[in-house]
Amino acid sequence: MSEEYKVPEGLYYTEEHEWLKVLDDGNVLMGITDYAQKQLHEIVYVELPEVGKDVERMDTIGTVESVKAVSDVYSPVSGTIIEVNETLLDSPELLNEDPYGEGWIAKMKPKNLDADLKELMTAEEYKKHIEALHH
Amino acid sequence: MSLKKTQLYQYHKEHGRLIEFAGFEMPVWFEGIIPEHNAVRNAVGIFDTSHMGRMRAEGPDAERFLNYIVTNDVSALEPGRGLYTVMCNERGGIVDDLIVYKLTPERFFVVYNASNREKDFNWFLRHSEGFDVELHDVSDEIAMIAVQGPRALRTLEKISSRPLSDVDRFQIVETRLSGVEAMAARTGYTGEDGFEVFIFDATLERPEKALQVWNALLEAGEEFGIKPCGLGARDSLRLEAGLCLYGNDIDENINPLEARLRWVVKFKKPSDFIGREALLRIKEEGVKRLRVGIMMEERGIPRKGYEIWDGEGEEKIGVVTSGGYSPTLNVGIAMGYVPREYRKIGTPVRINIRGRLARGKIVKFHPFYDETKYGWRRVEA
Repeated sequence: MSEEYKVPEGLYYTEEHEWLKVLDDGNVLMGITDYAQKQLHEIVYVELPEVGKDVERMDTIGTVESVKAVSDVYSPVSGTIIEVNETLLDSPELLNEDPYGEGWIAKMKPKNLDADLKELMTAEEYKKHIEALHH
Repeated sequence: MSLKKTQLYQYHKEHGRLIEFAGFEMPVWFEGIIPEHNAVRNAVGIFDTSHMGRMRAEGPDAERFLNYIVTNDVSALEPGRGLYTVMCNERGGIVDDLIVYKLTPERFFVVYNASNREKDFNWFLRHSEGFDVELHDVSDEIAMIAVQGPRALRTLEKISSRPLSDVDRFQIVETRLSGVEAMAARTGYTGEDGFEVFIFDATLERPEKALQVWNALLEAGEEFGIKPCGLGARDSLRLEAGLCLYGNDIDENINPLEARLRWVVKFKKPSDFIGREALLRIKEEGVKRLRVGIMMEERGIPRKGYEIWDGEGEEKIGVVTSGGYSPTLNVGIAMGYVPREYRKIGTPVRINIRGRLARGKIVKFHPFYDETKYGWRRVEA
């Protein structure tokens, strides 16, 4: 089955399929990509990080589970969790329906944003990354 | 090594998400595990189960042979009837769980797990010495489709040459399905009413008859909202029904008494059987652990291999052998083994979910759901 994956321009991506969006106020929003949600399919359970927690880049900050699989969620940057999307606790399907919008996972105050962004992929690079996974 | 395929592979490849299971390339889902699961609980779904092992056992000693191999009493079967059973090794450990059908006094049909196809057939061959019985592995010549759900009967009857409502549970009958020679048994692995059908003359090289029946079923069930189902829904349905999966909940290191399959061990049947002595000793001594069902009381999904702890979270008492999300109950459920003293329904336990000791309790698990609302015993409104 061939599938199309949405990879919006202007976001940053990890190899583990998280996206990061830099907000106007300098904070960041993160979630899992369309590719990640399609691989998991039918997400039924989410564990979110605690607000106020300090995390390092690529620390596990949560878990996403489908009927069959468990997948860790990694932090794309170092910083502090300042808000989590609690709607996901009751409506984990938002991660399938709108991974870059209503399915956002956490808002963070980054610590070394400029340095961390260099470690992340652009939309173009991420597209190539998921293409490579399929060949 | 390339993966094996079933007679319905072409359909799966075009419509499903494929995975490897027991050496076969099989669909894990077509539309999704949850919609497929719900179709079976509420209406009807079909599963390709052609990867399972199937054997004919024929001859004057066929019955005596099978009764020596399995723990249940094959000699109690009337022609046209089948039974669920296990077969054990000399230590009483479960070699496999299976269904044995008596077609005629000297012709039997045996269905066993895909993951044990070679092991079982070799086991049968090895123990058939001295018996006047011929064994034929027909797994690749006969396709197998499970039609499951409260609308399974009405769906299957639409393409069957004979009515099927008079067929009892575990009865097997000959019929023609959309013109194709077949057998239909009122059995399944979902907890629901339904049939497992065997389509003759459908080999891997000439799978047309299997595809014909599969497509005829999809068309016949359309008015009920039939869905083709993958192994994902098969697993979530059997878990909700509290049915064992070989390799998870039972294996050669688990005996049927601790697996709560005492009811398929017939110590008083007329003949000896492999494992009888060991099982008698285990029965005398009493089992130390038992298979139980657990339902989560807080957020979290128990999975195979997770630790079971006591209610206070003080010590580890067992391990989850099957677990997952129950679409019907919208909660995490599991089966696992715990010491006898924890068996009582309502006993609090904890599940170690990645370091967090989440609360759960021991519940009735065969099945987990309310039998007046779901499953083959349900009270139809």
